Amino acid sequence: MLSEERRNETVALDGTASERLARPDIRSEFGLETMDMNMGPQHPAMHGLLRLILELDGETVMRCDPVMGYLHRSQEKIAENRMYPAVVPMTDRLDYFANIHNEHGYVLAVEDLLDAELPPRAEYIRVLMSELMRLASHIPSIGFLMLELGAFTPILYAFRERERIQNFLEAITGARMMFHYFRIGGVKADLPPGILEEISEYLDGLEGRFQTDTVDLVTGSEIYVARTKGVGRMTPEQALDIGVTGPPLRGTGVDFDIRRDYPYSVYNELDFNVVTDDAGDVAASYRVRIGEVWQSIRIIRQVIEKMPEGPVMADLGRRLRPKEGDGFGRVESPRGEYAVHVVSDGSDSAYRVHYRDPSFCSMQLLQEVVPGHYLPDIMPIMGMIDPVSGGWDK
Amino acid sequence: MEFLNFLNQEPWRFILSFGVVLFLTLNLAAILVMGERKVAGYIQLRYGPNRVGPRGLLQPLADIIKLFTKENISPGKADLWIFLGAPIAMFIPVAAVWLVIPFAPGAVVADLNVAILFFVAVTSVGALGVIMAGYGSRSNFSLLGALRGAAQMISYEVPLILSLLGVVMLTGSLSLVDVVNAQGGGFWNWYFIVQFPMFIVFYISSLAETKRVPFDLPEGESEIVGGYMIEYSGMTWALIQAAEFAGMGLMAGITTTLFLGGWQPPLPFLDFGQFNWIWFGIKTALIMFTFQWIRWSLPRLRMDQLMDLGWKVLVPLTLVWLVITAGAMLVF
Repeated sequence: MLSEERRNETVALDGTASERLARPDIRSEFGLETMDMNMGPQHPAMHGLLRLILELDGETVMRCDPVMGYLHRSQEKIAENRMYPAVVPMTDRLDYFANIHNEHGYVLAVEDLLDAELPPRAEYIRVLMSELMRLASHIPSIGFLMLELGAFTPILYAFRERERIQNFLEAITGARMMFHYFRIGGVKADLPPGILEEISEYLDGLEGRFQTDTVDLVTGSEIYVARTKGVGRMTPEQALDIGVTGPPLRGTGVDFDIRRDYPYSVYNELDFNVVTDDAGDVAASYRVRIGEVWQSIRIIRQVIEKMPEGPVMADLGRRLRPKEGDGFGRVESPRGEYAVHVVSDGSDSAYRVHYRDPSFCSMQLLQEVVPGHYLPDIMPIMGMIDPVSGGWDK
Repeated sequence: MEFLNFLNQEPWRFILSFGVVLFLTLNLAAILVMGERKVAGYIQLRYGPNRVGPRGLLQPLADIIKLFTKENISPGKADLWIFLGAPIAMFIPVAAVWLVIPFAPGAVVADLNVAILFFVAVTSVGALGVIMAGYGSRSNFSLLGALRGAAQMISYEVPLILSLLGVVMLTGSLSLVDVVNAQGGGFWNWYFIVQFPMFIVFYISSLAETKRVPFDLPEGESEIVGGYMIEYSGMTWALIQAAEFAGMGLMAGITTTLFLGGWQPPLPFLDFGQFNWIWFGIKTALIMFTFQWIRWSLPRLRMDQLMDLGWKVLVPLTLVWLVITAGAMLVF
């Protein structure tokens, strides 16, 4: 349908279209003006409450400034005024599409302060929950990408899978969204009997369904390829400068994954590959997400096999009063590196808590990468970083 | 019933049939909206509307009541005449073209000898309605949508018209009645077989003309959130929707008439005489179903890719096929 040459044309880097349209001499000769446009904060494709100030020359975006803060809830300040265990449910409200990872990062940071030793079963349960959550976040994010390209149906297929995974999470934690399952020193409760067999059975079905309902439908689609190939392309250096992590970074070819490079919990005992791609565009980050879904399934199978018996909670005492100092925890959330820095002053609440959220850091990419693209390309680029409103606004 | 005989005379016959066609067009839009939601439901693993009436069949009625009772809001700085005129400018051309389509043997409101020209001329007015809506609303989003819509509809008229020419050459007439009559005698005589590339081009162009996925850039709900119709509400919005859906039905009807034999039965012994409108209905419904199927399966193209497809692929293809058709007509 579309010529190969056209498909390979990188809209952003060689900039034929944007150069032609945005040359100042042509603009002044014909008295052309640019149009300012406000996208959001109430916009259906803005992943929550994001406002983009755009300067458009026809359909070409010349400037794209993201404005954040519409969902700011002072999470970091609240965390300074609550006792350590009471902050965990607050972290659930950050990245509400992958809550388990938020809890995990905070809990790791406080355990780093306390030098806590965890029972092995708790660690395995944490990995199990993290990877289930990653599945429940990656599969819909592929659907969101398609939704932003104009195909409405894949998101509903994706949410069917998220729904089923959420049923497991609900069975384990008792909540559907705000889990509050990870505790400092372990997890809230042991797994319900029989859940591991059920998850294993579900994964058998998921492998088939994910291939046919999502991968086969999307990957080969001519229009999908035309809309994503070469769009949002960035170099590895650019990505590292901006501070992008997660699938978009691995899509540029940088082989970086916290789970392998700075292993936490029991990831060093598990066998998995870090998926990378060289293209650095939207299609590459999509391929990385697909690959990570397969890797997550692999990790969950290993966890189910190796799950040890024993207690799920370490005895850290009734009242947590860490010594003065810093605690640091970093986890690989579905969106990238989620890190928590906790400073303790020896009292029972933290002196300072800082969340490094991948949605927030990757958001800078919009300013760098979007100019030169066409207006509709903003949406797949948003789909590439897949930000969550609660994450970038804290 | 003697006193009703005047209805058989002009202009009363025309006025009456125009009323009937207008009524049917509006109904068609309502039914199509319902059909679209049901098809979408089944494609997306859900039921679609199933609360109002048996199996949700009265849903269009509830929708219409809701839309009639809604307040009609217009933006404060809108150019009111253009803003309110746009839905009418969009709807009238669609309703008018139905006048020249033969539904069954002899059942055509106006058997124009230039019906195809009429169709081409009148549908191109629809682009005007889109520009009016986008300009009159005085909003960035709707202006972008209108510019996209204008560029797209005017560009895709070229392959649309060129793909009609093959049929016109084979028939030797611009009358749709003649086109249908020339396709009689079984489905192997329908033009979609000898004019297959033209059929595909016409189908794609009619998707673009009706602003359906994958060519729904003027609406582009993920970036410009509804495009030219973003500021409309209540009945004006309903009229735009009716124009869109009736336009989709119209394109399906024209495709049926030109390439799928109109009311002609697929096999000669299935000829029901006056009741051949059933065949017209079945074929049109099938085409409309494929429109909806595509709508709920495919993502959207970008503007430059859309223009590439239209000017660099479809137009050359139709030109080449016109030459082939002319050559074949010389030889045989």
